[in-house]
Amino acid sequence: MSEFKIGVRETEGIHVLELKGYLDAHTAPKLEEAFTNLLTSNRYRIVVNCKDLSYISSAGLGVFMAYIEDVRKNQGDIKLSNMSPKVYNVFDLLGFPLLYEIFKEEREALRKFVDKTK
Amino acid sequence: MKARRFLYVGGMGLLLLLVLLIDVIRKSVDLDLGGIEYLREALIIGVFVLLFVLLESAGVMKEQSPVKRMGLALIASVVMVIIAFGGSVMLESAFDPKSSMLLPLGYGPLFMATLLNIVFGCFAVAVLRLLRDLALYKRKRGSQRNILIFAGLTLATAAATLPLKPLETEVYVSVLYGLAVVAAIVNSFRLSWIVYLTKREKLFGLVYGFFLFGIFIGLNILIQSVSVSRALLYYSYPLKEFVSLVCVFGNVYFGMAFVSTLFHLPTAEAFDRKTTELSSLHNLSKLVTQAFDFKELIDTVTSMTLQVCEAKGCWLELIHTGEEARGENLLQKDLVIRNGKDGGYLVQIAGMKNISQDEIDALLPVGERTLRDSVLEERIPIVIDDIQKEPRLRKSGRATLPEGSLVVVPLNSHKDVIGILYATKDTEHGFFKDDVDVISAFADQATIAIENSRLFNKSLERERLIREMMLAQEMQRKLLPQKLPQLLYGDLSASSTPAFEVGGDYYDIAQLDEHRLGIIVGDVSGKGVSAAFYMSEVKGIFQALSRLHRSPKAFIVKANEALLGSFDKRSFISVIYAILDTDSGKVLMVRAGHCPPLLVSRHKGSYVRPKGMGIGLGLGDVFSSSIEEEAIQLHKGDVLVLYTDGVTEARCGDEEFGYERLMESVLQAREQPAIEIKEHVLGAVKAFTEQQASHDDLTLVILKWRGNSNGQQVEVS
Repeated sequence: MSEFKIGVRETEGIHVLELKGYLDAHTAPKLEEAFTNLLTSNRYRIVVNCKDLSYISSAGLGVFMAYIEDVRKNQGDIKLSNMSPKVYNVFDLLGFPLLYEIFKEEREALRKFVDKTK
Repeated sequence: MKARRFLYVGGMGLLLLLVLLIDVIRKSVDLDLGGIEYLREALIIGVFVLLFVLLESAGVMKEQSPVKRMGLALIASVVMVIIAFGGSVMLESAFDPKSSMLLPLGYGPLFMATLLNIVFGCFAVAVLRLLRDLALYKRKRGSQRNILIFAGLTLATAAATLPLKPLETEVYVSVLYGLAVVAAIVNSFRLSWIVYLTKREKLFGLVYGFFLFGIFIGLNILIQSVSVSRALLYYSYPLKEFVSLVCVFGNVYFGMAFVSTLFHLPTAEAFDRKTTELSSLHNLSKLVTQAFDFKELIDTVTSMTLQVCEAKGCWLELIHTGEEARGENLLQKDLVIRNGKDGGYLVQIAGMKNISQDEIDALLPVGERTLRDSVLEERIPIVIDDIQKEPRLRKSGRATLPEGSLVVVPLNSHKDVIGILYATKDTEHGFFKDDVDVISAFADQATIAIENSRLFNKSLERERLIREMMLAQEMQRKLLPQKLPQLLYGDLSASSTPAFEVGGDYYDIAQLDEHRLGIIVGDVSGKGVSAAFYMSEVKGIFQALSRLHRSPKAFIVKANEALLGSFDKRSFISVIYAILDTDSGKVLMVRAGHCPPLLVSRHKGSYVRPKGMGIGLGLGDVFSSSIEEEAIQLHKGDVLVLYTDGVTEARCGDEEFGYERLMESVLQAREQPAIEIKEHVLGAVKAFTEQQASHDDLTLVILKWRGNSNGQQVEVS
């Protein structure tokens, strides 16, 4: 059906996951794999850029819940950015803005990490 | 049928008695009875025609094998020869050669001659039938014709003698006789039945043919001898010609049969083998279609390999790789299991014939790289001409290797080797190409059968799962309200359809007290079975907690606490919980991460979106502080729509049904009762997604408020 891709890049020790396409029950394992890879190599400062994310289902949202606890326990965080209004609506409906920091732009999220370490 | 046979036998007896009567009269009067002669011949002919028809209609011996019939013919002809010889001795100069009718010199010879003729006639009829059946075996276009020609010529010869006195001869009779003999010789080349005999049968056929040939020579000599020929001629010239020609035919035919069988003997074994191969393959392919008895199948494959290749020992191994190798799905638990060299596969010896576990282990030592590994890699049969000299076998010096040869054939399925068939012989160079070919053919059949049987078991398992799922679906349907409460001032309608057999959507309605109704719509994250389990848990919690808490917020906070423990990290539930005052139309609702309910009031629709996070996302305060309650006052004609994201996210290509379309479709039907509105919205969703199956659970609850008829409500614009 629909494609889902993840790009990973690193800036100043912060890892950015770029999501693209449809994140649903079928594609969620890919995102889980990406998170697992980061966590096993002790990368806990993560920004998820949702610029090209066109759809997210409840199973996709569940992935963020699965890792946030571990990440925060290790003084890291998962921050989200660049959501389209439609995707933001899904996050918002579920009350994710209360649990995650969601930014309009990726650099704001990065700055937040950097500011915190200073 | 039986009555008819009696009729035939009776008729024959009657005719023979008549003939005897005529003979006795003829003898006592000593006169040429003229025309009566023809009547007499007609009666005699009638007797043997009746006999032939009787044998044919009863199908006597028709189904027996040619060799068996030859054996019986041999016994009959021996008896015949004895009788004929006895006759020839006893009837020595018993006939008056001066009498033109060759009348016997006494009543004794008359009876004896009659008896001899009857026996000869019956014998000839039976032999003719046998010869005809043999010559027509696997008949070709001309064979039937040739037999008819012979029969025709024989009858013509017999008929030609009708006007003749016993001792007269005519040239045309001899010519016809000669032609009939030629026809008999031509027919004697029809020997195709010999080819299809087994070796054993051929040996018997050879012996029978030899003796039959000899005895028929004797018979022919006897027939031509003075006393016997006179006895025959006296009784009936045509019968004598008939008997004589049949015996000549028999003589030539059995002679030819003997020679032909002799030449077929060397190839008999090969022919036997081919026949066995064919029939075993045929049996095997029949067995393949009934994949139910796996053990029998393996047994058949191994025993046929033994039989057809004349192998000493044979065994069949099943190779399990991947998931199977963990051993759960092995077909028979009690079989010997060997691990592959690197543990990459499991070997299950499914059938052994004439070989022991120790012998197998000597050839294929445990824990070493063996021929098994080679054949698994190469996927082609391997022939070991001399086990003792084979380098791939010799290095395992510990166990003593047997002498002889070995062939190893893989059972190739489309993607991997599912088993290996082995056969051993005592002799070196025991397996030739055709042996390998036939073993490969068996292996192929076995492959198909094993695959079939596995597929069959899989489909059984699948069916069981389907039945389970149907049950689960039925159970889940029962978790939803079977009947919605009747409202005084409004009406309710609801429906829920899972995307798969079971789903994670939930709605329920509980009468909290006399005038308060709790309405819940929830959506468990994910789909399918796992969602369905959570859904049933939500049902329990709703039924237990809803009546205990007067405020929706208190309920939802308690529900979150109750559910958190049993959820895994990535699961959550979005819920709308509304309490409706059925008298006043006042609604108090909370939204825990769920799609905002749609309120259509007059011409306007709006989404009610109090704040609140999904159940299972946050603990204690985080959760409870996120939840807001929102109060709505329903007015006459208002429609409140609770739904799950299956409605708004119903998709057509990349486009979603969305909030706009939902609102629009409710607005269109807002004048209708709740059930009509529901149908309209579901119809709109269905029309939007066209033929695509819904990919998400879809739930819709519609509350239509008709208003309090007492006019307590004030319409506000």
